[in-house]
Amino acid sequence: MTASPEMRDLAQRLLTYEADAGKTSEPMESATLRVYEKLRQGLGEFAGVAGFQSLASRALALARLEAPSLGAARVTADGSLQGLGAIEHPIDIDKDRAGAYRAGEGGMILITRLLGLLLIFLGEALTLSLLRVSWPGAALGDSNSENGRKA
Amino acid sequence: MSAQDRVTINRLSTGVPGLDEIVGGGLPEFSFNIIAGAPGSGKTTLAHQFVFANATPERPALYFTVLGESAIKMLRYQQQYTFFDPAKLPASIRFVNLSQVVLEKDLGAVLDEITKEVERANPAVVVVDSFRTMVRKPQSDMDLQSFIQRLALFLASWQATTFLIGEYAEDELRDNPIFTVADGLFWLRQAAERNSVVRKLQIIKMRGQDSVPGLHTFRITDAGLQAFSRTFGLIGHLKNPPGHKRLSFGIAELDKMLGGGVREGDSVLVAGSSGTGKSVLATQFIAEGIRHGEPGIVAVFEERPQAYAERANSLGLDLETPQKDGKLAVLYLRPLDLSVDETMHSILDAVQKIGAKRLVIDSLAGFEMALSPGFRADFRESLYRMIFALTGIGVTILSTVEVDESFTEFPFSTYSISFLTDDIIRLRYVSIDGELRKIMVVIKMRGGNHAKDIREYEITSTGVVILGKRLTHYQGLISGIPVHSDRPDPMPEPSQEPGIGNQR
Repeated sequence: MTASPEMRDLAQRLLTYEADAGKTSEPMESATLRVYEKLRQGLGEFAGVAGFQSLASRALALARLEAPSLGAARVTADGSLQGLGAIEHPIDIDKDRAGAYRAGEGGMILITRLLGLLLIFLGEALTLSLLRVSWPGAALGDSNSENGRKA
Repeated sequence: MSAQDRVTINRLSTGVPGLDEIVGGGLPEFSFNIIAGAPGSGKTTLAHQFVFANATPERPALYFTVLGESAIKMLRYQQQYTFFDPAKLPASIRFVNLSQVVLEKDLGAVLDEITKEVERANPAVVVVDSFRTMVRKPQSDMDLQSFIQRLALFLASWQATTFLIGEYAEDELRDNPIFTVADGLFWLRQAAERNSVVRKLQIIKMRGQDSVPGLHTFRITDAGLQAFSRTFGLIGHLKNPPGHKRLSFGIAELDKMLGGGVREGDSVLVAGSSGTGKSVLATQFIAEGIRHGEPGIVAVFEERPQAYAERANSLGLDLETPQKDGKLAVLYLRPLDLSVDETMHSILDAVQKIGAKRLVIDSLAGFEMALSPGFRADFRESLYRMIFALTGIGVTILSTVEVDESFTEFPFSTYSISFLTDDIIRLRYVSIDGELRKIMVVIKMRGGNHAKDIREYEITSTGVVILGKRLTHYQGLISGIPVHSDRPDPMPEPSQEPGIGNQR
């Protein structure tokens, strides 16, 4: 069971967006963590901490099947992600030239899986609506997934 | 205080077809309402319909979820309904999960959290789903009462119309402060009746306006809830009161027996055993109406519309063309858990759509069979409400009913519903000269004179044809086994008017 190309593309866009945003600020956590944290904040509001935590746990379990490097990562009780630092380096504006940054493969797969679960449960329209709240400036577009019912 | 000095309470659409009328014209703005009922009764769906009908980006809806159904799963299922518009999320409708604060903190903290979100969002609508789980933790009555009162006061002051959803049992109605504080109390029920499920709702309380009392049927479809008022949405709507017209059957002799035809707005019962021509007579009644520019509706329960039209066609009556022209609607109503209210809704829709003046229900036995067992118990009462409502708007109703043929009795129907009808035409078999022949008699015509003649008739390729004179050479015709009488033909009697005794 692999992630769909559409979800991978969406995850890539979010990661790139956060990588670009991260370059303008102080060095901080990786793009994967930034995307994950925004998802946690946005989804946690309506799904609750426990709701997001269980969804993220499932996404991590699925992602580990594709990326064994995620073995050290874990989702804590409050839904935050720990242990990703070992496999991903933080954004560093000195090292990561514009356009050169790429998220680690494990992080990419995790975000792809998380978005995939949202698509399965909420459908495309609602998933994109929720993502647009956290990423108002990102061009998210519509994927062609058939998992969600279109309104 | 004069009416113009009184405050005007705006009424909001509930978003549920039929429910606005039941609550008295819409939900009072800024009211504090409870939706109660058992799991699966439709509480959340009702709240969602209200939210989607009223939330705007300027005055959004805040939907607080607490313990219970996961918010993600709730949205997954709710978006299957056609009223669910994903574009409204999250600008117009925001879901806020309070599980954590409910689990970890006290009611004061819950109120603080709700207050914070309401002050931030300035919502027009607030829903707490489920409120019951929010207050389930042990606490003193005083704490609970204080929390509810502060919550109600705060939300009303912030001009929010509120729904609290809870899984309550009816014996909890007493002594629970939430029901005292509430302005509106919606109770949803579903009950299994033999093999069917019947859903009903009741407005137990609605401050400031007249809601329609009693239990109202509702159904949940892919469009959400649809409610069917016991008054069929016809309260104070005597839009088309019946006139004094006489409506023809298209059978001259029968019209004469009826004193010139059926009075407009009457309820006519055609009773007879199988094969006596009840449906033929009903079809002729509808077809004649269409010929006179009176659109009609046929509600069939025992055969499919196509078969009905084909049978009419064999009598030379074209029902296909008027259906295409929008002058006739043939309704086939045969789900086995139907309620009279839903049938009525379908009929009323058709009445309004084509401006129907005549309605045929063919037959009452089929109608009863199509109802959920729970509704069959109320069949007479439901028929009464339906007939009263329809004739009140000027529709003339002809119902057919099958009666068991007895050669010792002459029943009018098996339903004891003759009191619901203005006119009764009885058809029956009689054994005469070694033949099974058919006779017809007008038993009753409320408010009008009619012939008392017993007439023989046949069903021909053109429909019901009344034969010859009234049958004067037999006694005991209505027993079905008449005895030949050698009496001479009686002289025409003036008192027989408007009888048609000597016509052929």
